[in-house]
Amino acid sequence: MVRSRAERMADWAVYAAMLVLALAFLLPVLWLASLSVRTQAEVFMGAARFIPEAPTLDNFARVLRDGGFQSYIWNTVKLASLGAAGAVALAAPAAYALSRMAFRGKGALMLGILSVQMVSGLVVLIPLYRFMDRLGLLESHFGTTLLYIAAGIPVTIWLLKVSFDAVPRSLDDAAAIDGLSRVESFALITLPLALPGLISAFILNLILNWSQFLIPFIMLSADDKWPISVAIFRFAGSTSAATTQLLAAACLLAILPALAIFVLLQRYILAALTAGAVKE
Amino acid sequence: MGQVELQSIHKSFGPTAVLDDINLTIADKEFVVVVGPSGCGKSTLLRVVAGLEEASSGALLFDGRAVNALSPGERNVAMVFQNYALYPHLSVATNIGFGLRRAAMSRREKRAAIERIARLLEIEPLLKRRPNALSGGQRQRVAMGRAIIRNPAVFLFDEPLSNLDARLRMQMRSEIRGLHSKLPTTTIYVTHDQIEAMTMADRVVVMNAGRIEQIGTPSQIYDTPRTTFVARFMGMPSMNMIAARYDGDALVLPDTRVPVPADWPERLAPWVGRELLLGLRPEHLSLRTSPGGVPATVDLTEPTGSETLVYLHHGDTRLAARTPPDTRLRRGDQVHLDLRLDRATLFDPDTTLALPTLPADPITKGETA
Ligand SMILES: Nc1ncnc2c1ncn2[C@@H]1O[C@H](COP(=O)(O)OP(=O)(O)O)[C@@H](O)[C@H]1O
Ligand SMILES: [Mg+2]
Repeated sequence: MVRSRAERMADWAVYAAMLVLALAFLLPVLWLASLSVRTQAEVFMGAARFIPEAPTLDNFARVLRDGGFQSYIWNTVKLASLGAAGAVALAAPAAYALSRMAFRGKGALMLGILSVQMVSGLVVLIPLYRFMDRLGLLESHFGTTLLYIAAGIPVTIWLLKVSFDAVPRSLDDAAAIDGLSRVESFALITLPLALPGLISAFILNLILNWSQFLIPFIMLSADDKWPISVAIFRFAGSTSAATTQLLAAACLLAILPALAIFVLLQRYILAALTAGAVKE
Repeated sequence: MGQVELQSIHKSFGPTAVLDDINLTIADKEFVVVVGPSGCGKSTLLRVVAGLEEASSGALLFDGRAVNALSPGERNVAMVFQNYALYPHLSVATNIGFGLRRAAMSRREKRAAIERIARLLEIEPLLKRRPNALSGGQRQRVAMGRAIIRNPAVFLFDEPLSNLDARLRMQMRSEIRGLHSKLPTTTIYVTHDQIEAMTMADRVVVMNAGRIEQIGTPSQIYDTPRTTFVARFMGMPSMNMIAARYDGDALVLPDTRVPVPADWPERLAPWVGRELLLGLRPEHLSLRTSPGGVPATVDLTEPTGSETLVYLHHGDTRLAARTPPDTRLRRGDQVHLDLRLDRATLFDPDTTLALPTLPADPITKGETA
């Protein structure tokens, strides 16, 4: 297609805007990267030495060898993946019901579920803390995982509903004629066919959970239970500039897995987010 | 082992009635074709019989037993869907055998059953493939295999051939009929294609806007349509409908009078001086070589090779005539037509119903073959 001059100008404007946006997000990360390869002495030079004279990977080596760091990463992996698996497992039946059954108030319910997503965690922080305290679930990974799951369920229901909607209804009919119950038809026909959607919903939850801070911050006070997000925050608040370069290295290492997952699997994630947008 | 009876079945989706007072009895092993324009409720009818849709009211009986409350699986019906509805993630063999999951058969027996069906349908080499690696015709066969293997009491087909090309459709038509004679099973076959209805059915059910217009053998439906809808819907080109006034001994057309056969005046006594619709199939109009009959002007000719269809008009009335292949006519030619009134069906223009007494017993409603 031949594009007009005006259209090309508009394209450039969009690129320029995107560049500015990308820089806004990228600058802190670059700053982090710069800090993480400095020696302690160079940390004091601040922005004047954006590219250090003697870059070193020592900081990364020290962080990786640190037993505490390993434990934080392991906690993060555990909480994030259990939370993601739980959210997908619990959202799937709800999404199936919303996809396949007609009932009064369905539209309102769907919006209600979505609006839960809009409530900031901060708003419910104190009641949530007292609630979990009453249940005796504070200070445990179990209780924390439950909250991760709860936080992930609304958006997961929406994602999975879209995936289930894309599985033709006529297959439900064929399964019913073949003598399958609703549950069997869900488990044997719909779920396997929606597998790409399930996987991308899991990955999306994983990424969101990886950066989850508020929930573990209020739930867990013991150092050995912290995920990396809480650990970094606690150290940043408590340590002097003497360890800034180590903290920067830890931060970068913490971002890396989420980034890697996203880059490797972005095709699936995008497919899930746009599924149903194009119907056969 | 497979009589199906629908007793005043109604079905509404919200305020819209989709099935309106459907009464139909299908004999064991009978092949019934339900035909009607798209949107008239054929699929809904089939889905009600299958149990995929619940009737709003009315009774559904299998062999005299009410099945309204049974799930599709419990009804022992099999269905072939328009888009085949094969499970895309399962192999052809698994697709065919899926309905046997609950059957009290060993793995080996199931395997043997699948192979027997595959042989019957000539799809043995495809058993390991996935549905998306099959052509339309092959998918069609797999869908039929999945239906046959369970040895159901009733087969339901929902426009199974509409996604196939013309040649394959013709071939599958006769294959499905052949299968029915090999494995006689009660069959309800839904289509919008009147040729499928005419060629496949023991009995045809013509539907329109959620109601049954007529039930009868293909020849009854074709020769003695009960309503103008049936007359127009069945047959290609459709039946000519000529508005005429009956004056006691002839039908008065705009430009001519057509004397009626000797036995009509007695039967048509109440219609003297009133308007009628004269229904005549295109094959019952013929070209005269000499003047007389009904004058008409040629609009278009369609030579098909084996015959030539001539479209004409007389006054405001459009007509179609089936003529020999060597007919040579051009637009604007004036011709004269003979009407075979002995093969005509007369309709009341107000009720659109055929007049009950012409020719011999056109009423076939509600009869079981
Ligand atoms: N689930 C449904 N909800 C609402 N209307 C429906 C539903 N299924 C069918 N209809 C309507 O019922 C009518 C008959 O549909 P259908 O039985 O599919 O017709 P056909 O198979 O003869 O083309 C159509 O007007 C269709 O829009
Ligand atoms: Mg239909």
